[in-house]
Amino acid sequence: MSDHQIIEGCSKHDRKAQKMLYDRYSRFLMGICLRYACDRAEAEDILQDSFIKIFFNIKDFTGTGSFIGWLRKVAVNTAITHYHKNLKFRYCVEIEEFTSTETGIASFEEDFFTSDELYKVLNELPAGYRMVFNLYAVEGYKHKEIAEMLGIDMNTSKSQYSRAKAVIRDKLNTLRRLKTNYSADG
Amino acid sequence: MLSELFRQKLENAEVIPSPSAGKAVMTRVGRMEFLRFNPQRFNIWYAGGIVAAGTVLAIILFSGNGEESKKVTDTPESGKIVITDDPGTAIAPSENQKPAARYQSNAKESINMLAVPSVPEEVKEAEGIIPVQKHNVPSRPEVTGTLPGNGLFQETTGEKGRLRIVNQGSDMIEASVTEGCSPLKVAFGNIAPASDSCKWSFGDGGYSYKKNPEHIFDTEGKYEVTLQIFDAKGLQSVSSSVIMVHPRPIARFEILAGNEIGPDDGISFINYSTDAIKFKWDFGDGNTSDLLQPRHIYKSSGNYDISLVATSENGCSDTLVVSNTYSGSGYFINFPNAFIPNRGGPSNGYYSPASDEAAHVFHPVYSGVSDYQLRIFSKLGMLIFESNDLNIGWDGYYNGKLSEQGVYIWKVQGSFVNGEPFTKMGDLTLLKY
Repeated sequence: MSDHQIIEGCSKHDRKAQKMLYDRYSRFLMGICLRYACDRAEAEDILQDSFIKIFFNIKDFTGTGSFIGWLRKVAVNTAITHYHKNLKFRYCVEIEEFTSTETGIASFEEDFFTSDELYKVLNELPAGYRMVFNLYAVEGYKHKEIAEMLGIDMNTSKSQYSRAKAVIRDKLNTLRRLKTNYSADG
Repeated sequence: MLSELFRQKLENAEVIPSPSAGKAVMTRVGRMEFLRFNPQRFNIWYAGGIVAAGTVLAIILFSGNGEESKKVTDTPESGKIVITDDPGTAIAPSENQKPAARYQSNAKESINMLAVPSVPEEVKEAEGIIPVQKHNVPSRPEVTGTLPGNGLFQETTGEKGRLRIVNQGSDMIEASVTEGCSPLKVAFGNIAPASDSCKWSFGDGGYSYKKNPEHIFDTEGKYEVTLQIFDAKGLQSVSSSVIMVHPRPIARFEILAGNEIGPDDGISFINYSTDAIKFKWDFGDGNTSDLLQPRHIYKSSGNYDISLVATSENGCSDTLVVSNTYSGSGYFINFPNAFIPNRGGPSNGYYSPASDEAAHVFHPVYSGVSDYQLRIFSKLGMLIFESNDLNIGWDGYYNGKLSEQGVYIWKVQGSFVNGEPFTKMGDLTLLKY
């Protein structure tokens, strides 16, 4: 069954097509959701909401752009909604304790870290940092767009991004140290 | 760069979600699909439609049933009395009788066996009901009745002459009382042999088929109680007896507390009792009186039960007890909760209860007050009026100026003439017009 047929079936609310769509794209969307969540459970919540949105709004997909891109957009938007919804339950860390410690190695080899480790680093980030970093660095939105999406100031977005970077760099450095030590010891 | 690292590694990374997530998604989709209108599949709209249709159907069926059952209940009212016979009952069948187990007795028959609906217990007992079948009977001169031992029957006017009256007098009736006050409950006894059936008429419209009935005469009067007894041969005997029911008096009184109760003032009682000639008052403090409208002085304050027993000439009596009637000394002090000061200027608070009908002065109504101090405060707690003279109330002015409309607080302290102290407080509303 092609993507086209699946979309057709889903717009007719065909259960089989929906199942097919889920089976085909759930892993890809889960990869996105996990970046925006603090753990797997939250990621699966976002994933569920995303699929509900996809199933009930698939008619909005015009077919002009790429289907994958549309799915990604839905997932990201759902993650943002989720972030807003849970904002009041989160403990916001806004202290300047993460001021840039760019003393470490500036570049990271691509293959040194596994994607699991990168996910873990993202999950451990404060929610605000994670949102901005994901949207800017991975999704490639502009700070202006991010500010609109999250309902924050553009400068906040910028500063959060730079702080997020600093935190991530810090964490990766620690991780690298651990890994090299471990391998040296081993 | 960091961002490149993350983008390359994670932009299209795939993570396998747990299987339960997939199930949860499909369950939620299924639920939402059920709630969504879609003519192509079963959903809540169909379910609702089915429920609605079922309800309508049920209502139609139910109302249909209702009509049917009505028809069933209608049949016995159509003028025919259907008596279902016991198969074992021995009957001498008449030639017109159908061999069915049901007999229909014609309403024109001289003797009808009636199941009297008002005495259902007798109906149950009357196993031996035997309808006397007398269709087209004019040729028969007499009913030599096969009257049942236990049966119920009613005689119609045509039959009366044929029953011989054997006995007359009151010797069959035993009454527990023959005279008394209303409502009078009388237990009647019947000394006829147990096998005979009887009918009691009580003279006030009541009747009974019991052998030894009890009857309550609600209103006064002279009642002639009649007992008809039918023996096994259908012979009738009539007994009668007279029951006298006297009116019961009604005890009523009012306690009149005078306005000016001094230490030696008594309390008057007004007697509203009816049908009574003798009275017995008990004032609750050990004193009694036989007067019609006595006056009583209580030595000390307290709660008393006052009772009046009113007795009529026939010896019937009624009692009225008023509990906890006379509490306290009868001294009191009360204040209104609002007044309207005179805008014409201060009046210095002098008033008399008669002249202050317009409520220009805030003052108490009281009785037996000896010491007295009234203070009035504003809402802020400022003392704006004080009086130690019962005859001076507040005219609503403070330092020559009319006070604001609003709520004020009053407090009164003092004692009554018997030395009992009192303290009361409350609020009052100053109104302006």
